[in-house]
Amino acid sequence: MNNPVISVQNLVKRYKNADKAAVDDVSFSVEKGEFFAFLGANGAGKTTTISILTTTLSKTSGEVKIAGFDIEKEARKVRERVGIIFQQPSLDPQLSAEQNIRFHACLYGMYGYRPAFKLMPAAYRNRVMELAEIVGIQDVLFKPIKKLSGGMQRKLEIIRSLIHTPDVLFLDEPTQGLDAVSRRSLWEYINETRTRYGTTVFLTTHYIDEAENVDTVCLINKGKISACCSPEELKRDLLRHELIIDADDRTALLNELSALGLPFTVNGRIVVPYEEESPQEIISKIRTKLTVLKIHEPSLEDAYIEFLTKQSKRAVA
Amino acid sequence: MTELVLSQKKSWLFRELNTIVTVMAREITIFFKSPATAITSLAMPIVMMGMIGGNIMQNMAGGLGFQFGQFMLVGMLVNMLFMMTTMGMTSLVDDHDIDFNQEMLVSPVSRYSLIIGKILGSAFAAIFSMAGTLVVGFAMGITLPINKLLMILALSPLMCLSGGALAMIIIGLIKSKRAANMAVMLIVMPQMFLSGAIIPINNSSGLLLVLNRIMPMTYCLDLVRAVVYNGSPEYSNVVMFNPMVNFAAIVALTVVCLMVGTYFFAQSEKNR
Repeated sequence: MNNPVISVQNLVKRYKNADKAAVDDVSFSVEKGEFFAFLGANGAGKTTTISILTTTLSKTSGEVKIAGFDIEKEARKVRERVGIIFQQPSLDPQLSAEQNIRFHACLYGMYGYRPAFKLMPAAYRNRVMELAEIVGIQDVLFKPIKKLSGGMQRKLEIIRSLIHTPDVLFLDEPTQGLDAVSRRSLWEYINETRTRYGTTVFLTTHYIDEAENVDTVCLINKGKISACCSPEELKRDLLRHELIIDADDRTALLNELSALGLPFTVNGRIVVPYEEESPQEIISKIRTKLTVLKIHEPSLEDAYIEFLTKQSKRAVA
Repeated sequence: MTELVLSQKKSWLFRELNTIVTVMAREITIFFKSPATAITSLAMPIVMMGMIGGNIMQNMAGGLGFQFGQFMLVGMLVNMLFMMTTMGMTSLVDDHDIDFNQEMLVSPVSRYSLIIGKILGSAFAAIFSMAGTLVVGFAMGITLPINKLLMILALSPLMCLSGGALAMIIIGLIKSKRAANMAVMLIVMPQMFLSGAIIPINNSSGLLLVLNRIMPMTYCLDLVRAVVYNGSPEYSNVVMFNPMVNFAAIVALTVVCLMVGTYFFAQSEKNR
């Protein structure tokens, strides 16, 4: 963490007339090129944090720097370096898809405004066509936004947010409301962008599977960060690996497990947790003929649910 | 990434001017895509100039020492610029509803450029509405020489900027369309009656005098009338201030309103 592209220290945000802080003394950092995810339930403080980081919401206290620039004192420099896809689409429905992109590119000072696509510089036209082809919206580029599906509008927002080639791309629940096919193609494109440009991606989501491949995942709950590590570490810390087995002669199998000193629980199937021994080693010891054999690798979603369960138990206690 | 951004980087002045043009162009594009706005722009003068103005002209315009018809036409032209620009500024509320304000505010440009672009874009519909006022005036037998019309046209962006800046003080804080529509009436109606658009204010006194002196439209009207009546014997009966005083007052009030309005707008979006 020598030169983080995002640095957040003791960030606090308390909305007007609110009893509690929406973001409460949060600190974390993100390195250049990192894929970083902020996970949390609705109202956990994800969007508040991303809004502060993108300078669209003022903070109550704390220090936030993007690419080395303070978000309040050097807001303009910060804005030059970030792209954002808001939780709610922020396209102008009265303009065409291309007009929305042109508006954005001109606001970012990349090109002088011209009243028609054909009059824009070749560099702009080529880039728009290239990006439109990659995300597959070239056929609707000149159609009004109203005629685009939710998935296409999201893809258009991706193009728009990348047209000025930001250093950091903020994605605030980018796939909310999208069907499975649109979600998959959107992620393919975002991953391609990361690979091609080395863009740092800051993601907030409550679709846990989307954060499975990130470098770092931060769990936020009621405005506080509860864990910040790699998904693998999170799974390792929160969950155990399990073998799920069963046999026609279940009594014999249970007796054998007891004789071998292997811990197990019976919950529909027989569940044998393992840590140091590998599944291969455990199975090789069992002589009873198995009819069910599954190795359960915990997902990030399992870890996240376990985390939330522990949090709520702690709160009740 | 950064290399590409830097290679495309333009000067600060270019970027701000480009922002003004871009935001203005968006408003004009939307204007042409919304026939209802264009029709309203042309129909509004029938109510303002034809009905309100015509009624006053027929019943109350005797013994003024100048021809009321031309006085009113000039007043209505400026009033329409203010009214249509103010109405256009309510689109900020629409932009808030569709989250487009966020898209604008996250861009690395001055908030003043965004607002000036918005005002000048709204001014397009306002200037378009001048044609309607002139047609209604012509139907009522009131005309202006073409050279005077061109001078009014040249001054119209300044008038719109002044009206839009004033509107920003209230509209910049509003988040509902209904409240915005009420705000338009709150901004437009007092100015129409107190700044001399259709009722002369040469003899105003007390609180009404104070109010008409702090309204930007008073100076806009007086400046335009100074241009229209320049060299005519009615000049001293119609024009209240030196044109330079008017110009200075317009610039000063516009700058103050623009700064206050833009600050309110940016803060209301950011401070929640």
